[in-house]
Amino acid sequence: MATYQEFIQQNEDRDGVRFSWNLWPSSRLEATRLVVPVSCLFTPLKERPDLPPVQYEPVLCSRANCKAVLNPLCQVDYRAKIWACNFCFQRNPVSTPQWTILSCMTKHYSTIEYRGRGPPNPLIFLYVVDTCLEEEDLQALKESLQMSLSLLPPNALVGLITFGRMVQVHELSCEGIAKSYVFRGTKELSSKQIQEMLGLTNPAASGPQSRPAAPQDPAVTCRFLQPVHKVDMNLTDLLGELQRDPWPVPQGKRPLRSTGIALSIAVGLLEGTFPNTGARVMMFMGGPPTQGPGMVVGDELKTPIRSWHDITKDNARHLKKATKYYDALANRAAVNGHSIDIYACALDQTGLLEMKCLSNLTGGHIAMGDSFNTSLFKQTFQRVFSKDHNGEFRMAFGGTLEVKASRELKVSGAIGPCVSLNAKGPCISENEVGVGGTTQWKICSLSPSTTLALYFEVVNQHNAPIPQGGRGAVQFVTQYQHSNTQRRIRVTTVARNWADAQSQIQHIESSFDQEASAVIMARLGVFRAESEEGPDVLRWLDRQLIRLCQKFGQFNKDDPTSFKLSESLSLYPQFMFHLRRSPFLQVFNNSPDECSYYRHHFVRQDLTQSLIMIQPILYSYSFHGPPEPVLLDSGSILPDRILLMDTFFQLVIYHGETIAQWRKAGYQEQPEYENFKHLLVAPVDDAQEILQTRFPMPRYIDTEHGGSQARFLLSKVNPSQTHNNLYSWGQETGAPILTDDVSLQVFMDHLKKLAVSSAT
Amino acid sequence: VNGNQERGWNDPPQFSYGLQTAAQGAPKRTPLNKRVPPPQLTGSPCPVPGDFPSLTAPMTPPTNPLAPPCSMNTPPRPCPVAAPPLAGVMMMATPPPPFPVVEHTDSASSQSENEPDVDDVVTLLNWALTACRHTVKKQVCNDVAKRLKLFEDMWKSGKLSLPVRRRMNGLVQELKSCNWDAADEIHRALIVDHVNEVGQWMVGVKRLIAETRNLNPDLLHTQEVDQSLDTSSTGNSD
Repeated sequence: MATYQEFIQQNEDRDGVRFSWNLWPSSRLEATRLVVPVSCLFTPLKERPDLPPVQYEPVLCSRANCKAVLNPLCQVDYRAKIWACNFCFQRNPVSTPQWTILSCMTKHYSTIEYRGRGPPNPLIFLYVVDTCLEEEDLQALKESLQMSLSLLPPNALVGLITFGRMVQVHELSCEGIAKSYVFRGTKELSSKQIQEMLGLTNPAASGPQSRPAAPQDPAVTCRFLQPVHKVDMNLTDLLGELQRDPWPVPQGKRPLRSTGIALSIAVGLLEGTFPNTGARVMMFMGGPPTQGPGMVVGDELKTPIRSWHDITKDNARHLKKATKYYDALANRAAVNGHSIDIYACALDQTGLLEMKCLSNLTGGHIAMGDSFNTSLFKQTFQRVFSKDHNGEFRMAFGGTLEVKASRELKVSGAIGPCVSLNAKGPCISENEVGVGGTTQWKICSLSPSTTLALYFEVVNQHNAPIPQGGRGAVQFVTQYQHSNTQRRIRVTTVARNWADAQSQIQHIESSFDQEASAVIMARLGVFRAESEEGPDVLRWLDRQLIRLCQKFGQFNKDDPTSFKLSESLSLYPQFMFHLRRSPFLQVFNNSPDECSYYRHHFVRQDLTQSLIMIQPILYSYSFHGPPEPVLLDSGSILPDRILLMDTFFQLVIYHGETIAQWRKAGYQEQPEYENFKHLLVAPVDDAQEILQTRFPMPRYIDTEHGGSQARFLLSKVNPSQTHNNLYSWGQETGAPILTDDVSLQVFMDHLKKLAVSSAT
Repeated sequence: VNGNQERGWNDPPQFSYGLQTAAQGAPKRTPLNKRVPPPQLTGSPCPVPGDFPSLTAPMTPPTNPLAPPCSMNTPPRPCPVAAPPLAGVMMMATPPPPFPVVEHTDSASSQSENEPDVDDVVTLLNWALTACRHTVKKQVCNDVAKRLKLFEDMWKSGKLSLPVRRRMNGLVQELKSCNWDAADEIHRALIVDHVNEVGQWMVGVKRLIAETRNLNPDLLHTQEVDQSLDTSSTGNSD
């Protein structure tokens, strides 16, 4: 009989789903008492090499407001050729000739991929390139763009817009002189005006109303968005000839960058030519927008770009207006199924705080680097085009997710890189969480790791009997465009047993998935942090943790030392401790742009990567034995050890004091100390695997005791030894941390006190 | 290769296209995903590191406290170096090298120790281009020819590094054998790993592969390699 650990892992491997609770409380009241809602992390396109797509369309329930897909939970009567929908109990007759094959398959596969409807549409890549870069940076960026032409899917359409003070839309004809259309960087134009000026509307129409030409009309679209296999040579030359923005930048000023207009033209161009087709706007910028709508900072260098201090003092002039501008653009792009990537490389902030919705709402990427001439940018960009074991691109487009649930469950909302499709239905809860009020969301760009958090509400009345069949079910239907241009539908149907919380609370407790719950609650916290004050979010998080400990802790009233948590919850407080200290909720150490960047990646990654972000992994290498995981604690920092820390965004290799001295003395060069050489190399080798595959590429820090870069490690570990308690500990081990942060120990002590108190 | 520390704060190292592609599909060698459970929630201090069972015999302390443990004193580790053969078994005058020869698996061409011949490579490229001229638009062929000429000039003036020369040789061999996907993959690896050397002309090679693979196979076979016309960028063939 499998343990819950095994059950949880098997389900994740098979269906890409991890629920907070794997036994569901059968009443609404009991569900709210559990503190962590019934919710899940769902990875729609989890890589499943064993899952070949079925070349048929899915079989649907015939009830108009149901339309659930035939799945293993349905009762099937083969002789009468009828199947009963497990969601609405409708009896459906056989409807397709492929019935037998399909029904057998769905009997065995909780996740299955079908052929989708609609013609294969080409993929589109529209490059939007900032030319206000230093020469070295521009050269590196040009080379990366030229290189990318070889990485694009061969039949993809490609386009180029460059911007600086003005915005240029380049015609990509196969022969003759290259032409471009120039727009002023300050004048806001409507989508229709842009299309007219680019000649994308039907010129023969009479009157002031010009109809946009039919989208697939090649005569109209060929000029700006051309198949890469036809224009690769010309475009390579065009890119090679790009110059820095010619407008001189006076002393003490920033270059005039019309990012807002450039993006609006990109979105308008795609809207007018390829609505509802998978497309990627890839924007490359080397500094903040300084001109026109969407400007984030003025051109005077003496006025710095807004900091957290400015924002809290309400001293960020452009923030509201710029955010609103980009939000509107993001929504327009999302409605059309187009995604927007931002590749921002500069030493100072570039306006990610204002522009993040462009990527967050559409599923596009944000990459943040110091310069385009770094391996961090180059390799991160290359990995956008990475392929799976079948040699197919990992990126997918135009996704929609629909969630159906048994009548005892309602859908509260989703948190992740999506927008609402405002699909009304009986399944919707009035209590909105994240993107709520719908059972369908749009995810314009997806990868195999894209993960949404979905929140449910149990609606059964208290003391109502356990529903017939004893199980609740959820079905996830993801429609998307595969990178080979075909449309597909992936259907995952899962079920969990209902349990009466009053008599089976221990079973429910043992079904708790603390890892998934930590990430689910963390996403809720981050979502709140975007609109609430920081301290309020921390208080809310603490409150939830205390309530959870009160509910499930084993203790004697008012006796903190008696407090214990069962194994299924034992890691949870530690996750919450690290979450409170993380850059997702602590903005103190990071710029607004950095915060936006970290949060962007946090609310879309799968469970394993998300946990690494919350509580970094720490491994120790020494002569005492093989590499082992150690506590993320200052006590783990020892002179004769090398530590490898993975925070997701950074890989830190830290050499203890003695190791550093040996390394400096060069012992690794001497043959008798070959083992020391192996020891030095071991963490580097282990880091390579991560460095070679992770998206985005992490920073790589090689540091040692006393090194300035050691702060990356010191700021993450639990400061159990600080300058405050160094002598009171009575221990000699571990490196003290200079901080006033509370340690895990102190945190746990407070938590236990509050949990056991009859006053709380 | 190290990252760009001048421009980038803690810039990570640069990996070749081949390594990254291989790593994408390979299972993790050492998954770093374990965490240590926190101390029992009973108020005891954090466990002292080293509580975990050691799988190897305890190390004897180094005689010199300032030096790391000497290899002789430490427990044996698997030795990566192949042991030399026993004396008397081999009849060679000199002992065999102690380390195995490291093989590059990127392309077939790196197996040969010889410097590839530019004329051989150019001839093969022109062979393909000539075949294309029958059906592919003149402008396109001329554009390709222009870039092939640039490639040739760069090679002859010593501007191309040895890996690029070798891999281009490998590419044209694949082209000759009609292994289009393999040739394409080499072009991709080259432009990713050496964009500053090949960026200006590689797209011509890319196009050449793409057009050649679509040709009627008879067209290719009628072209004998050593009889290919000299198709220079002056392009008077039409």
